[in-house]
Amino acid sequence: MATRIDIDPARGLGWGTFLSGFVPGLLQLRLGQTNLALLAFGSCTALFFAGWSMVHERLFYWVLLDAGTPAGGGSSILRTLAQFGLPTVLPELMNLPANALGALLSFDASPTGERLWRMPRDGEHVGGFLTGASGMLAMFWSAAGHWELRRRRDGGATPPKPIADPALCAALSWLVPGLGHARAGQKDKGVVMGLSVAFVFALGLFFSHGHACDRATYSVWWMAQNLFGGGSLFAALVTGPWQMESAPQHLQLGVVLCTVAGLMNLVVMVDAFTVAERSAFPVKPALEDVS
Amino acid sequence: MSLLPRLLVMLIVLFPIAVVVVGQRHTNARDTLQAAAKRTGRWALWLAALVLTMEVLGFLFIGW
Repeated sequence: MATRIDIDPARGLGWGTFLSGFVPGLLQLRLGQTNLALLAFGSCTALFFAGWSMVHERLFYWVLLDAGTPAGGGSSILRTLAQFGLPTVLPELMNLPANALGALLSFDASPTGERLWRMPRDGEHVGGFLTGASGMLAMFWSAAGHWELRRRRDGGATPPKPIADPALCAALSWLVPGLGHARAGQKDKGVVMGLSVAFVFALGLFFSHGHACDRATYSVWWMAQNLFGGGSLFAALVTGPWQMESAPQHLQLGVVLCTVAGLMNLVVMVDAFTVAERSAFPVKPALEDVS
Repeated sequence: MSLLPRLLVMLIVLFPIAVVVVGQRHTNARDTLQAAAKRTGRWALWLAALVLTMEVLGFLFIGW
């Protein structure tokens, strides 16, 4: 890569920078971008609490590690951590302050509290999407901060400007797969990649009669499905609230396909970021030929 | 679902996955699609070999 001679481009920015990324706006503050820092913190917090107002303690039902009573499978350590939102509610965990505040306001370890976790709420599909989207947004703000730090570190006296902000390209690809590539100047490739993701996701919904992408029922699978934000938004608004009279014959196939589509979109997002990144720090031709 | 429809779904899904995988190494749609077609063919061969192996193992240990 075309970077300053004394800098190894593969070198990370350190643990401090990595951990700072969990607090939206902290990296922007470090970069001296006060307005952007306020925007990052405000947007992530607002999005989280817009969703939290609909789901409240229901979020604890969607964790990877059960924070319930020991009889219900949870451990006392997990219950302590849960009060601060630390069991892995993904992707909300990436928006650490809002997630912790939401947990402090709603965690109730009593049997009554646990029953409330399990109780479906009106609008929980949209609420669950919004809290999840706040985590994704926090991640994109973090990526933007990391990118700017790296650009300043490796760019020398006059840091090169990319064709588009890499983090913005990744965020656009999260909502509409391929849009980030279009923004970064690879429109036709973006269309092909985007259609591929959308096709697999649609196939999953088709096989499951629309029930494959449902956070309330398949919360762990949903964590990967949500990597295709446009798809999970569509499911939250349209197919999620549908009543399931009886389990469709190919429901599991549908769940797997929607999850595969989400994971495919993770690749698309990373590629969109990389395409924009390489417009500022191009790879040497000898490395580009490797395929 | 019997084996044939499952294989059909697998083959249909392989191509979009290949598009995303090989797309990282190309800059335009034409090159991506060409490379994805080749990659899908290669994966399909591996898939056929795996299915054949599983069927043979099934035949040996479970019976017809």
